[in-house]
Amino acid sequence: MKIYISGLYSGTNPQPGIGVARSLRAAYPDATLVGVEYSNRCSGIHWADFDELWLQRPWDELNLDAYAAEIKEVLDAGALWISGVDLELMWLASVFPEGHRNLLTPSTMALRKISKPAVEAHVGLPVSIPTYISTETPDWELHAFCRQHGWKVWLKGPYYEAVRTASWDVFERVRTLLARAWSTERLFLQTHVSGYEESVCFSAYRGELAGAVYMRKRELTEEGKTWAGDVTEVPAEFVAPLKQMVRDLNWTGGAELEMVRDTGGLLWLLECNPRFPAWIYGSTIAGHNLPALLVESATGVPPARTQTPVSEEFTRVVLEVPVRSQFPLPSLPEPYPGGIGHSLKHPSGTLALAERLHKLHILESNGNGNGNGNGNGNGHHAEPDNVTATIPTVPSSFIADLGAFDFAEMETPSFLFLESTAAALFARAAGQAAKLTSETTKVTNAYSIKTNPDERLIKLALESNFLAEAISLLEVQKALKTGFKPEQVILNGPGKWWPQGLLPTSPIHAVFCDSLADLRRVVASVERKELQAKIVGVRLRTPTVGSRFGIPVYTPEELEKLVAAIGTLPTDSAFGIHFHMASSNIGVRQWWHLYESMLRWCRSIETLSGRRIECLDVGGGWFPDDWQTDSGDQFAAAVARARQFLPHVVQVISEPGKAMAQPSTALAMRLLELEESAEGEIKEAVVDGSIAELPMHFFQPHRILHRDSQTGEWRALGRGKTPLLGRLCMEHDIVAWNVELPEGASAGDLLVFCDAGAYDRSMSYVFGRG
Amino acid sequence: MSLAEGNELREVNETDLVDVGGAMAKWEHFPASAILHHGKPCCRVAREWIFSTDYSQLNGENPLTGPRWLRLKYKWGASVWPISWCEAVRQKTLDCGALASMANEVFVMRGVKSYPAQFIQQYTEEATRHWRESWTDGNASDHWIKDDLIYHEGCAVVVREGEIRLWDASAGWWMNPKQFGGYGGLVALRVFAPQAEFSWGAHRIAPGRWQRIQNERQGLALASAG
Ligand SMILES: Cc1ncc(COP(=O)(O)O)c(C=O)c1O
Ligand SMILES: [Zn+2]
Repeated sequence: MKIYISGLYSGTNPQPGIGVARSLRAAYPDATLVGVEYSNRCSGIHWADFDELWLQRPWDELNLDAYAAEIKEVLDAGALWISGVDLELMWLASVFPEGHRNLLTPSTMALRKISKPAVEAHVGLPVSIPTYISTETPDWELHAFCRQHGWKVWLKGPYYEAVRTASWDVFERVRTLLARAWSTERLFLQTHVSGYEESVCFSAYRGELAGAVYMRKRELTEEGKTWAGDVTEVPAEFVAPLKQMVRDLNWTGGAELEMVRDTGGLLWLLECNPRFPAWIYGSTIAGHNLPALLVESATGVPPARTQTPVSEEFTRVVLEVPVRSQFPLPSLPEPYPGGIGHSLKHPSGTLALAERLHKLHILESNGNGNGNGNGNGNGHHAEPDNVTATIPTVPSSFIADLGAFDFAEMETPSFLFLESTAAALFARAAGQAAKLTSETTKVTNAYSIKTNPDERLIKLALESNFLAEAISLLEVQKALKTGFKPEQVILNGPGKWWPQGLLPTSPIHAVFCDSLADLRRVVASVERKELQAKIVGVRLRTPTVGSRFGIPVYTPEELEKLVAAIGTLPTDSAFGIHFHMASSNIGVRQWWHLYESMLRWCRSIETLSGRRIECLDVGGGWFPDDWQTDSGDQFAAAVARARQFLPHVVQVISEPGKAMAQPSTALAMRLLELEESAEGEIKEAVVDGSIAELPMHFFQPHRILHRDSQTGEWRALGRGKTPLLGRLCMEHDIVAWNVELPEGASAGDLLVFCDAGAYDRSMSYVFGRG
Repeated sequence: MSLAEGNELREVNETDLVDVGGAMAKWEHFPASAILHHGKPCCRVAREWIFSTDYSQLNGENPLTGPRWLRLKYKWGASVWPISWCEAVRQKTLDCGALASMANEVFVMRGVKSYPAQFIQQYTEEATRHWRESWTDGNASDHWIKDDLIYHEGCAVVVREGEIRLWDASAGWWMNPKQFGGYGGLVALRVFAPQAEFSWGAHRIAPGRWQRIQNERQGLALASAG
């Protein structure tokens, strides 16, 4: 019996070849085991269980047709082939569309049905698929997905690799890297599921399950790979659907279902690998030799040695082995000048294989649409990537408002105030607050002036029954100048008394103390009758989300001090509690949990201090779309919860800044210069705008409109290959990494970056303007 | 080859010393630890702080999530008993009884059913000798050590009707219901609960009395013989 085993890489993220060889050696001591590898850098070629080695040139050098013919010869001669390399077995499936008796790998159809992230074949199994979204959607939606899931998301490649992308700039960078590495834009973002990692590993021949085990990871490497585990029988509820799945897929070969069990006990399927896992010998130790069962099914030859279970638990160790004399160690590549390390990743040329298979159309999209567990296979897209799918929807009011400008004479870059858009946002917020207000609880908006101190916005706020939220006395003065009365002002933040001498003499609406020192100052100031406020409260520091603001309650001592300090507050003002943490940063779900947890802290403080909480101020930080997509139900429920926890609350204040301001203003800029490639593609374009006007570029996408210079028509840009380079002499002044400019775009054309009305506007700087 | 090697492994920890019966007798009348409440604001603040912090730490996850943050805040070490809430929250180290008692209250506060659980665990005489010395140095009692066995406390958390999981609040992990004996192994368990019986993995647990925990390795030997 001769068995070819490929995938011998034996680093920290190993391939299964060695484990398969050890398992087969245990069952078939006399079999000839042939190790197949594509690089002499893979240390597994030196493992002593291999009787022979078939060392191929790396994938970028291999002649695929000749190699296919050689493998056919080997199989025809009666040898078996067990592949431990995903891309190799995908290629083999295309070489042998009808399969081969001795080729112990699955078919193309089966591979397609288990491809990530939908894993179409999972339907009968007691598992769910974590929510995901294809990256072939507009950036605007990808950002929304990340916010929704609190940035606990993984950007995953089509076959291997998953990178946690905890912020927008990281996401953009990793997307570029992965797309380049795997020669495809078809990546996907998937939510993180926390819990314990478990696997079902099985082997099957022509649709008949030969054996299966259940493995729990008990020790993990830093990359999350198995280091130790325990192996037991597959739970009964899993066995029947697994058998059915294997039958439906007509599966041949090993496979592993990688899952996470969450705290509630639910299983989440991360992926189905079409081969044995690298820990497969751990299963053999437990008495379940799955590679041997596969060989027995395929050949009818029972193992020469029966297995004795040794231990349900296995672990790895690090071993030194002698190098085979006929395969001496290759030289280490020279480090790049000034570089760090030797760049040894993918020695066998896996990336090159992916590129070759893409060109041969052997690897194609597997219909990774947007999913919530029900793969909706929307077919195959041919290269190049589907640009239309990445074009964002731009609200019609933006386009309507742009009609008011005379662009011919406009100097660029220039901020454009979108009047009806802004008015509609404030009107909506006013309506929302009115709707949420009840007999017992008044719901009030307060406009965060710092977000964008444009007078037109402050005026809209005033007209829409907003209060004005200020973080400095200069901001207070601006609010008063625009028409607010002192009693409509909320004073917040650590520097609210700056600059001296501008405090209104009549009562303001509320002041929230940012520290215990601030609280002492407020108490003294009230005693001296310098400060009068209807509500005097404290800002709480959010306990599990790091913040520099507010009074901390990280220790019982701090809580005790806070409670004592509250006892010194003036009793002729009402007492309130404020917190702020941007849901746009921590995520929407996380924010709602923070809200619930704040209600508990407030209740604790109320109970301990004996001081009634009459005002709850929940701050701002909402991304406009998240603020608007809420139908009101969640806010209504939140107000009810506040009353439930804090029965004396009569006012709930929210302080939207960017939810109001961000959509209200856009930035117009012009194309200065286009650089074309020999093929006529626009390689890069220089614009007269810059990150000085778009400092939020690193944190959020902006929807971009192009104006047709002939017709004046606006068209939203999808993703493409052209970076838009800003005018500044700064390396990172790239205002967009990858857009598709319309055909015929030329210097002088106008671009409008939408969604630039919040901190883009207020934090823009004058660099490079002379 | 490799499999055969496994069979010849001698278990260094399998000594004759493990006197589970003696240990169960020694800790027969041992109550589960309980933290005292002064009935005054001092302890009220402490408890409010624990519960509100726990809710924040839970981060919106399932209430059955183990409160590992307690162990992050308090190192495992000796405590001097009796101890009250206001004292306990201010310590740098807490023993297993204090940690288990806190965790138990936290689970209950979350609306999860949780009962005090007592464990007898096997270690080695080297390990227990060091513990004995550290505890005596800290003027704390070493009554929890017997030869190579120790008395330990945790929580029996009801995850489903009639089914518990055991939270080791000092380690910050759930105990494996598959026990193999040996170092760290659970050899006996007592749960204080009003219920009639629970299942813990494949074990049936009757509350209110010490009971030995069956070793899985015997099961494995049987399977291989059969
Ligand atoms: C206390 C407070 N309220 C409101 C806001 C407004 O936030 P945004 O503009 O993100 O809505 C901020 C911003 O930092 C803030 O600190
Ligand atoms: Zn006390």
